[in-house]
Amino acid sequence: MLAEIYRRRALIGAFANRDFATRYRSSFLGWFWSLLQPLATLLVYAAVFSLVFRIQAPPLGADPERTSFAAFLFTGMVTWNLFSSILMLSMTQLRSNSELLKKVPFPAWAPVLGASVVQLIQVALEILVLIGMFVWQRNIGVSWLLAIPILLATALFAQGLGLMLSVANARYGDVQYIVTVTLGALYFLTPILYPLSLVEDTADWLAIIVQLNPMTWFVEAMHDVMYSLTAPPWWEIPALLILGFGTLWLGLVVFERKGEDLREWL
Amino acid sequence: MIRREFAIDATDVSKRFIRHSDRRQSLKERVVRGRARRSEDFWALRHVSMKVPRGSVYGLIGHNGSGKSTMLKLITGIYRPTEGTITTEGRIGALIELGAGFHPEMSGRENIRLNGAILGLTKKEVEAATDQIIDFSGLHDFIDDPVKHYSSGMYVRLGFAVAVNLQPDILLVDEVLAVGDEEFQRKCFDHLAALRKAGRTIVVVSHSLGQIESLCDEVGWLEHGEVQEIGRASSVVANYLARVNAEESARNPRIAAVRADGGRDSGSVVTATRAEVVDGHGQLVDHVETGTTCYFKVGISSSERFLGPNVRLAIQHDSGALVTMLGNHRHGVDYGWIDGDRTVSVGLVDTPLLPGRYILHIDIFDHLGTRLVDSWTDALEFVVRSPRGEIGQGFVDLPATFSIDHGPSTN
Repeated sequence: MLAEIYRRRALIGAFANRDFATRYRSSFLGWFWSLLQPLATLLVYAAVFSLVFRIQAPPLGADPERTSFAAFLFTGMVTWNLFSSILMLSMTQLRSNSELLKKVPFPAWAPVLGASVVQLIQVALEILVLIGMFVWQRNIGVSWLLAIPILLATALFAQGLGLMLSVANARYGDVQYIVTVTLGALYFLTPILYPLSLVEDTADWLAIIVQLNPMTWFVEAMHDVMYSLTAPPWWEIPALLILGFGTLWLGLVVFERKGEDLREWL
Repeated sequence: MIRREFAIDATDVSKRFIRHSDRRQSLKERVVRGRARRSEDFWALRHVSMKVPRGSVYGLIGHNGSGKSTMLKLITGIYRPTEGTITTEGRIGALIELGAGFHPEMSGRENIRLNGAILGLTKKEVEAATDQIIDFSGLHDFIDDPVKHYSSGMYVRLGFAVAVNLQPDILLVDEVLAVGDEEFQRKCFDHLAALRKAGRTIVVVSHSLGQIESLCDEVGWLEHGEVQEIGRASSVVANYLARVNAEESARNPRIAAVRADGGRDSGSVVTATRAEVVDGHGQLVDHVETGTTCYFKVGISSSERFLGPNVRLAIQHDSGALVTMLGNHRHGVDYGWIDGDRTVSVGLVDTPLLPGRYILHIDIFDHLGTRLVDSWTDALEFVVRSPRGEIGQGFVDLPATFSIDHGPSTN
């Protein structure tokens, strides 16, 4: 199947192109809006959580005397957005392309993967903003390079889940609502708006839930390499990559097994 | 690679659908109501085998719901067979729904690119075909506009141009010849003929038996998902038509006769009492065939001596259009004095009506043609059929001559 995906990369590109071209075609400021939304969220959350709830970010890696809640928050948000946007987009692709799938023969994973490609561009823009923030904070380090495999693992993990959920959503239309609600809850069970140490100090049972959440692993690794400028334990990044590739493999298997029947469900 | 003799080889193919009413549409339903019962399955196709030789044109005919479109979707690979195997060779282009792959926000040109990629062409191949597609569609001025601004005709034109110009080895055509204007239909038809000449394999689904007969080498006739007959186009079409006619007769036994039994009495001086259609031998018929003479027999009854009535028959097509009126006065025929029961016989020489359903209205006027003495609307309904099955080509088969000469028109 991987060979087939590579062979039809032009098709994935064509879907990516379509999504890219149509996404902001009718709006004047185009990509600007796609960045405005996360930045606005960042601003509101940063204000509420640091000023109202008085949550303290951990010390910056470059200067332990300083902290930056906004940078800490945005590191987590970027990682989370990569995960949730690929997951959500992938999940709904089969349904939103149902007319096409029912009438024209072509591999059904093409629009799913194509949508993710476009989403990667969006996330890349967010990462540029994040880098800008850290440069402005003079919090720069070689550990940044480790962000590449972590983000890759995050994307693969999300894509694997997205492939599975897209099939489930084609079969049962309410899957997307269940997932939306679940993701909403999961967001707060991931140390994005607060440092992990804060839950560990307050409630043990909650800390266990948060630590069992796979997104905590990805977000914490990103906090380490981007914010604290430290390398996570040597096994952590390989483990995340295995998790990412494994989930993707599982997603592809599910898709291949069920993929031939899903056009009848749509 | 071994070149197989058949472009499409379907062996013992069956397709089962789970009925929509029964399928669990949401996870909630699935949990609450449990697993769907399997007994609600519906077999769209049963043990269908068909072999389409490379370079031939194959037609699929049958009633609505006979499984023709399902068969096409199985050939394209949109569905997979529940049982049996289908092997195809070469790139498949489908004219199942023209422009199905178009995105409304994108321009015609961008949509050509997307569709090319969907059909499995490389960028280069698509670029090479783009100009040809634009020429064929005739949309030069609009090709960079978003297709959402296209009229439905433009949409179909572009869809057809894309589908046939992206060089499929196998082209599947589902009823598309029924859309578009006359000129475009002709263009499509010509193009299919050209593709056929170029050795492409074509599978056509159509209700237009005339088209099927003239275009196809071989025809498969499906009924309730099962193969009725496969064979030479002309013989299968003829058998299919015979079955359709027989079924319709069974459903509407002696439409003409039913109306004739009324023994009508309008209470006026002259009454049209009965109306029926008979053939040349005077036998009541359930339908009239184009090109053979039939007779309308109208029974009239007058309560007193009545001079020269004009019995006028109005033939109306069931779409509402009046085809013609047949009156003896207009044809210079005078029935003279009548008294009591008479039968007026109006012969329709070589019935020049095309297939369809027609309604006969009867009006009786006095000898001056000014006073309407009886009017019987919907006196009878009759069906016209044709051994050639040309449906929807109008109402009348006008006598015409055809010739072709050298040089430009002399006028």
